[in-house]
Amino acid sequence: MCFKNLPIAFDEEGNAYLKEGLADPYEHKVVDLGEEQEVLKGLLERNGFIRNIDYDPVTRVAGALAFHSVVDLEKKKVLSTNSMATLFRGYEVILKGRDPRDAAYISSRACGVCGGVHATTAALAIEMALEIKPPPLGIVMRNILLAIEYMYDHPLHLFLLAGPDYSEELVRETNPELIDKAATTKAKNKDVHGYDTVLDIMKDLNPLKGKLYLEALTMTRVAREAYVLIGGKYPHPQSVVPGGLSVTVNASMLNEVYSRLIKFFDYSQKVTGIWDDVFDFFLESNPEYAKCGIRPATMMDTGVWDRPDHYDAKFENCDTWGEARWSTPGVLVDGEVVTTKLTELNAGMEEFVEHSYYEKWDGHRFKEDPNGMPLSPNHPWNKETIPKPGKQSWKDRYSWDTAPTWDRMPMEAGAYTRMYMTAKAQKAPASKFLENTGTSMKIHVPKHLLPEKTLEWKIPEHWNAFERNRARAYCIPYSAMVAMENWMMAMDLIKNGDTKVSVPYEIPKKGTHIGFGAWGAGRGFLTHHLIIENGLIENYQIITPSTLNAAPRTPWGEMGPYEEAVLNTPILEKFDKPEDYKGIDILRAIRSFDPCMPCTTHIMAKDSDHMVTREVTTCACGVE
Amino acid sequence: MLVELNKNVLIGTVGYHLLSNHSVGPILLPQIQSISWNGSVTVEEMNWGPIAIVQYFQTLEKPFDKVIFLVAIERPERKIGDISVFQWMGHLPSEKQIQACVGDAATGVISVENLLVIGEHFKIWPKEVFLVDVEPGAEQAGEHLTAEVDAKIPEILRILEDLGQKPTIVLETKKLRGDTLFEESL
Repeated sequence: MCFKNLPIAFDEEGNAYLKEGLADPYEHKVVDLGEEQEVLKGLLERNGFIRNIDYDPVTRVAGALAFHSVVDLEKKKVLSTNSMATLFRGYEVILKGRDPRDAAYISSRACGVCGGVHATTAALAIEMALEIKPPPLGIVMRNILLAIEYMYDHPLHLFLLAGPDYSEELVRETNPELIDKAATTKAKNKDVHGYDTVLDIMKDLNPLKGKLYLEALTMTRVAREAYVLIGGKYPHPQSVVPGGLSVTVNASMLNEVYSRLIKFFDYSQKVTGIWDDVFDFFLESNPEYAKCGIRPATMMDTGVWDRPDHYDAKFENCDTWGEARWSTPGVLVDGEVVTTKLTELNAGMEEFVEHSYYEKWDGHRFKEDPNGMPLSPNHPWNKETIPKPGKQSWKDRYSWDTAPTWDRMPMEAGAYTRMYMTAKAQKAPASKFLENTGTSMKIHVPKHLLPEKTLEWKIPEHWNAFERNRARAYCIPYSAMVAMENWMMAMDLIKNGDTKVSVPYEIPKKGTHIGFGAWGAGRGFLTHHLIIENGLIENYQIITPSTLNAAPRTPWGEMGPYEEAVLNTPILEKFDKPEDYKGIDILRAIRSFDPCMPCTTHIMAKDSDHMVTREVTTCACGVE
Repeated sequence: MLVELNKNVLIGTVGYHLLSNHSVGPILLPQIQSISWNGSVTVEEMNWGPIAIVQYFQTLEKPFDKVIFLVAIERPERKIGDISVFQWMGHLPSEKQIQACVGDAATGVISVENLLVIGEHFKIWPKEVFLVDVEPGAEQAGEHLTAEVDAKIPEILRILEDLGQKPTIVLETKKLRGDTLFEESL
């Protein structure tokens, strides 16, 4: 019985049904956020050491994500947080009424990094809606393509985005007391990365000129080269289609991919060694760092990388082919697995707009999924995207992001979730390279220039900013080994003459067909929920990892993951005057989620030159 | 300004799609591609990330001698549809600002400023880098250009042709410096 809050129960045969006797089974509380704001207002008026701290935007160019918090600089505590997505993009609106085959190409543009993931998820949604099963080579090549995308994405995040937060330059400014200590702390993994002390590592994490920063740039290029061999181009591949891939795969192409893939064997060892050394140093130097970005390990992931002998795209079989994925789908609540079934994961999903710039929709068209599992009126198949720009108010609406929940709980998403889930659930089929122990994932990395090594990522005691990034580092060898295993399968298929990579299909001109695509981006899972009506897209709903992570409060007042993680973050930065405060701890907490707001917030309506205004000022000053 | 013939030239469009005048580059890309350029002119969308573009330039066997970007940036004291031609002078902002540009670029933000600054930092630009910059006015959604910018299409294409392949031409250009871009955009 995985649902504690939704009115879904199961009979003795395991069939789901809607609990009886409830007047409004899906009703929910709506709390007034005004009270909390009044308390804060009073505090701000009375105390000079309580400050509004705005990170607006979190990236340099105005637009995507702004973060507002109230911080008590004397007690070194965060008092209040609000995460705001400040742009509406509306791919859901753009796609409405189009040919479903457009979805892969158009939705790919929802992100400038993980376009291939959107394209793949769109293809999967169509495959489910129309029951299109790609040939084995199409499935394994898709797996390789998307594993490579992560091998591009994770180093980029770790060294170009998050890395500078742990660099010598930054730490010298914000926590100079750590520099001397780092200079005398021996690195434990010198055998794989060559650095003698932690300070030596931190110096090469310096932005723009540090060797690790520059090496990551080189490695992203290696991954990208491999990616375009399959995808045609990056970040918006041209070869991803429903029913497989539109690319010729042969041994020569696979060898080209392999020559890039093996470079990640040694690099995996180096990256995990680097981040183990850096994060262990911080956590050992000051145990309070364990609270940076801390929140319960309440997360979900749809899994990724399909088995060619299991995946048939059918909804009725999705629990089976889902659990066969190289990464196991499921939900974790406070670190415990509550389901690994895609149908339950799907049925538990809802989106709320009480604190977002959208109108609530009417109707409840799909009361059940195709297997008879009850669906909420807030489920993506029932949701409509109705933008409603308005005044920004912390009491009322403050974000273009929605508040997605599973079983009425805000959920975190991340690359690390797929590793956490897979290690904990122990449902993934046997693998030559990966071993799930229930408390860890062992990754057997073959030799390249370095000798072979078994890396072990262990489920941490506390789920915080450091552990998110540490797990992300281990996702590089995880992804590389999945790519390797699929590469070997692809070679076997080609040797056996099984070279078909796609199947033909037709879009039926009549009838209703529903499906959802569920795959993973570099920063966590994403879903595309699709309804095809008489050959055209009737409804299309996208949930990205940042939709979950950057969510505003739920109607009943629970914070989104960024908001909660930042609220729990202690201020450990050293500063003499409030004016010198840089907010590094909060930024570390936010960045550990790998925010990718171009994914979350979407723009404009098809055939309409109607101005979708950014009436929401991104500056938090002066708002209610 | 004297423009020489037979240089290896890149004409790139930079800008988000579906933002009406702000998307002048993507909207005009098919028309620019359909021009009968001589063999040394390459026309490409350049929205695929400054880091990727740096790596693309680093792999070129024959480097570009000249790069021209068609963009639309809101600038003060211009009317919608006004066209300015800037020559990139290559001064860089602070390292903090450059790193911020990398952060934006890596998260998928499309910005010609980021592209110029990051490209300059990694030393990929030839001596001649030009921006053909159309004033878009306030940002709005839309698949089409407004009448003001639509009327300027022939002039935009003529400037690109002149810059791209005419042997000699005099154009009024303004100087664009990386270390002032950020002040301008405030």
